[in-house]
Amino acid sequence: MNSVVVWSGWVGGIAVGLYALFQFRLSNRQLGCSLAYGNIIGAGSKLSYFRTGHFAKLNNWRLWFIIGIPIGGFIAAASSPNAEIVATWSMGAVYDQVMPNSDWLKGLVVMFGGILMGYGARTAGGCTSGHVIAGCALLNPASLLAGGLFFVGGLMSVQFLFAVFL
Amino acid sequence: MKYSFIFLGILFGFLLSRAGATTFDNYAQLFLFQDFQLLWVILFAIIVGALGMLYFSRIGGLSLFGKEALTFDKKPMKAGLVKGSLLFGIGWGIAGSCPGTAPAMLGEGKIMAVFSIIGIAIGTYIYGYRASKIN
Repeated sequence: MNSVVVWSGWVGGIAVGLYALFQFRLSNRQLGCSLAYGNIIGAGSKLSYFRTGHFAKLNNWRLWFIIGIPIGGFIAAASSPNAEIVATWSMGAVYDQVMPNSDWLKGLVVMFGGILMGYGARTAGGCTSGHVIAGCALLNPASLLAGGLFFVGGLMSVQFLFAVFL
Repeated sequence: MKYSFIFLGILFGFLLSRAGATTFDNYAQLFLFQDFQLLWVILFAIIVGALGMLYFSRIGGLSLFGKEALTFDKKPMKAGLVKGSLLFGIGWGIAGSCPGTAPAMLGEGKIMAVFSIIGIAIGTYIYGYRASKIN
């Protein structure tokens, strides 16, 4: 199984916070991930939304940043003494209790969650990295509200899933 | 500058994994009040970030890449913020991952992250389609 090394929450939080500061000091670019999906999906689209504003240039830092992230995940797993790098369909013991047994049906449920995140992030103007980690650190009221509502939404769907399907 | 972000992405992906943010179950357990790993990660990241941004805003200065004056832009209060944030949160709880962590999970070999990533891209496209038709 994927038993990657996990630090204590506060250590991980400090590390992620320092990372966000490092990136900002280095590049004047605040942390953010969700827009990069528009760089990728927009490349194959003629819609004006994917040609203007944030997407005026699709080959930008966001694209290269999101290309790097999976490599970092791979290195994290490869450098964990007890982790084997194997592809797994499992989501873990907790989620697998409430998700469909069929791998493909489970994938559809997760994809539905992804669609809500992609649409929601653009509607709200950011995701967990942009609004919560970067935006809340600026004490931006919009980001504090978004972050609070992300938690409300997560509470709603997880409580629903485990109340109905457990 | 943009190419150096591949290395920043690698570092960020690595740290997300070490922080436990690439473990699906940590999301479910957070919202079931069983395990607060991700709450501590988020809170400490915000505290460290807030102190650092306060410090940077006091001393000012130029970015190391591109020598730009540091700008502390805040995201706007968009009209759809409440609706969009709730939808995002609901999806977050279902998918047990988010736009930054799903690619890191992919690198760890978690196949479900592929579905999350495809979903996020579709959701982004739906928003872009609607936004393009309205304007």
